[in-house]
Amino acid sequence: MNAPTLQAFSPVQPDETRPAELALHHEVTQFYYREARLQNRRQARQWLETLVDPDVHYWLPIVEDRFVRDNRAAPTPQDPAIYNDNYADLSNRVDRLETGLVWMEDPPGRARFLVNNIEVYHTAQEELLGTYCNVHVYRNRRQRDETHHFYGREDLLRRDESGQLRLFRRKIMLDQRVVLDKNLYLFL
Amino acid sequence: MVKVNELVDVANGIQSKRVFWDQEVYEQELERVFGRCWLFLTHESQIPDFGDFVTAYMGEDKVIVVRQKDGSIKALLNSCTHRGNQVCHADSGNAKAFTCNYHGWSFGADGALAALPMEQSAYYGQLDRSKVGLREVAKVASYRGFVFGCFDPAAPSLEDYLGDMAWYLDTWMDGTGGAELVGPPMKSILRCNWKVPAENFIGDGYHVGWTHAAAIKILGGPLAGLAGNAEFPLDDAGLQVTTRHGHGFGVILDGVGLIHDDPAYREYAYANVPAVTEKLGEWRAKLYTGHWNAGIFPNCSYLYGTNTFKVWNPRGPNEIEVWTWTLVEKAMSPELKAEVVKQAIHTFGTAGTLESDDGENMETCTWSNRGPQTRKGVMNSQMGQINDGEHPDLPGVIGKNFIGETSYRGFYRFWAELMQAQDWDAVRANDVAWKEPLIGGAVKAAGRAA
Repeated sequence: MNAPTLQAFSPVQPDETRPAELALHHEVTQFYYREARLQNRRQARQWLETLVDPDVHYWLPIVEDRFVRDNRAAPTPQDPAIYNDNYADLSNRVDRLETGLVWMEDPPGRARFLVNNIEVYHTAQEELLGTYCNVHVYRNRRQRDETHHFYGREDLLRRDESGQLRLFRRKIMLDQRVVLDKNLYLFL
Repeated sequence: MVKVNELVDVANGIQSKRVFWDQEVYEQELERVFGRCWLFLTHESQIPDFGDFVTAYMGEDKVIVVRQKDGSIKALLNSCTHRGNQVCHADSGNAKAFTCNYHGWSFGADGALAALPMEQSAYYGQLDRSKVGLREVAKVASYRGFVFGCFDPAAPSLEDYLGDMAWYLDTWMDGTGGAELVGPPMKSILRCNWKVPAENFIGDGYHVGWTHAAAIKILGGPLAGLAGNAEFPLDDAGLQVTTRHGHGFGVILDGVGLIHDDPAYREYAYANVPAVTEKLGEWRAKLYTGHWNAGIFPNCSYLYGTNTFKVWNPRGPNEIEVWTWTLVEKAMSPELKAEVVKQAIHTFGTAGTLESDDGENMETCTWSNRGPQTRKGVMNSQMGQINDGEHPDLPGVIGKNFIGETSYRGFYRFWAELMQAQDWDAVRANDVAWKEPLIGGAVKAAGRAA
C-alpha cells in the first residue's frame, strides 16, 4: 500500500446558484447509475478503473452525537474515520476481493444500490462538478443476513483528459451513529 | 443458578456451546462478571478538562464518565433518579449539568441533584436532595491513563485486578512514556456473543492464516506466507500468556507493524528498544517489538503492533456493540500517529480489510448454537496444552507458542470461577492455587481418554 495522503478535503464547493444544464445533469445521472450497476454486479475493479480519478479522496467520517450547543469543529480528514482512502487504499480493497479467499463472499452476497435526489452544480473550477445525492444500499447474504444503509454523498467529479467524468472527492454521510451491520466493506 | 461446572472443564480445555447462547448464562454474567469486574471506560486524554464527559456502557448499564473539578473522574449511572430516564444522550462533550428531558431534573458534573422545576411548590421543600443524586459507580481508577470502572466495592484495586497483566501492559503503556487512544470511537453492531471476539483477541493466532487469507495475501511482506496456513512459523515465533484474572495475550515476536508492514512504524519501535530495555529489562524490550493479540478480562481487547483497541459491549446473549479506538504512543510524531490511525482503521475499523473477515465468524459461532441439539455439544480449546507451564522470567502461565489456546483456557478458567463464586472473597481464596488446573492439563485429558 502506498503512503497515505491525508490531504484536506477539497475547498472547492458546488456553486448552488449555477445548476447543471439538462444534458450535463443527464450525463452525471448516468454516471451514478452506471456506478450503482457495477457495484450491484460486484464489478469493483471496473468501477475503480473506469469511474475513479487517480487522485481520489474517499472519506466517511465518524460523526458523534453531540449536543446542539457543543461548538467543537466538525470532523476533518485528520480525524479517525471509517473510510479515509486514496486510490491505492481503494485498490487494496479491490485486490482483497479478487484473491478468491474472501470466505464471507463465498457464496457471493447480493447488494443493490439505489441512488436518488441527484443535484449537480458547477464550481469555480471548470473541470470540477459538485453533486449531492442520497443512497440506499440493501445487502443480503448467507440466506437471511440482511442490512440497509442510508447515506448522503457530497462528491466532486472531475473530467479527465478524454472527457470522461471521474470520482475525485467523495464525502459519505452515513445516517447511523452505530453502524447496524457487522462491517461496511462496500464501496459506498 | 447456572451449573457452571457443566459449562467449562478447565483441566480438559472444553467449553459447552451454551456459553455462546443461553439467556440464563447471560443474565448471570451481567451480575457476576460485569457487575464485579473492572470495565474499560475511556482514556484520560479524551476528557482532559472539568466537565468533559463521554458516555459508555458497563455491561448493559449506561454510564456518564465525567472529569471533576478536582481533576478526578467519576462514572455516574445514566439514569434519572426521578423516573429513570436517561439524562445524557450525547457521545461526548462538556457539561456543567446533565438535565433530564422528561421533567427537567438537573444533576451537576458530580452527580448531585442541582435543580428541579417547582421544587418548593410541588415538593413543599420535603425532597431530600442528598438522597436523589445520580448513582455513582463504586470504583473508578486509571492505570497509566486508561480509565476503568467497577460496580463492586469489594473488588480488588484496579492495579491488583490487572495483577501480572499490568507488568506486561507496562511494556507499551510505560516503555516509551505512555500510550493514549485516538477517538472518537467507531461504533458498530455484531450479532454475536461478547465472548466470541473476547476469546478470539485474547488468544487466537490460529485463525489468522485462514480467516484473513485474503487480507494478508494482498499485504505482501513477511505475513503473506501465512495465507491459507501454508506456512506456520512455529518455532520460537512467540508465546501465549494468561494471568490471574483471565487476562492474557499471544505475541508474535518481531511482529510489530507486521500487518501494516510500515517501515516508519517499525523503525520507530526498534529505535526505542534500548530505552525500553533500560527501563523495563530485556524481556519486555523483546515483547515491545512483538505483535500482541490481547484481552483485559472481560470485554476489552486490543492489538498492539496493529494498534486497534476495542470494547465488546454486550447487548443480550447474541448481540454486541463494538467500540473501536486507535492506540498510539504519546511519544510518536503527529505524522506517525496519523499514519498509525490510518492503517488501524483500514485493517480493523468498521470497514476494515481484516475486521470484515472476523465479523462473519463471530456471528456464525454464536448463531449456530441456536439449535438445542447443537448446543448440547462442546467446544475444544486443547491446543498447546501439553506445553503450558511457568517460566523463570515471565509471570502468569505461559504457552510455548503464539499459536495455541493457553489464553483461552485462562479466560474460561476465570470466567467459570467468577460465575461460581459468591463474592470477591471467594475468588481471593483461589489466589494461591489458580494456576493448577491450567498446567499439565494434557496429561489429565490423556488419562481420561484411556
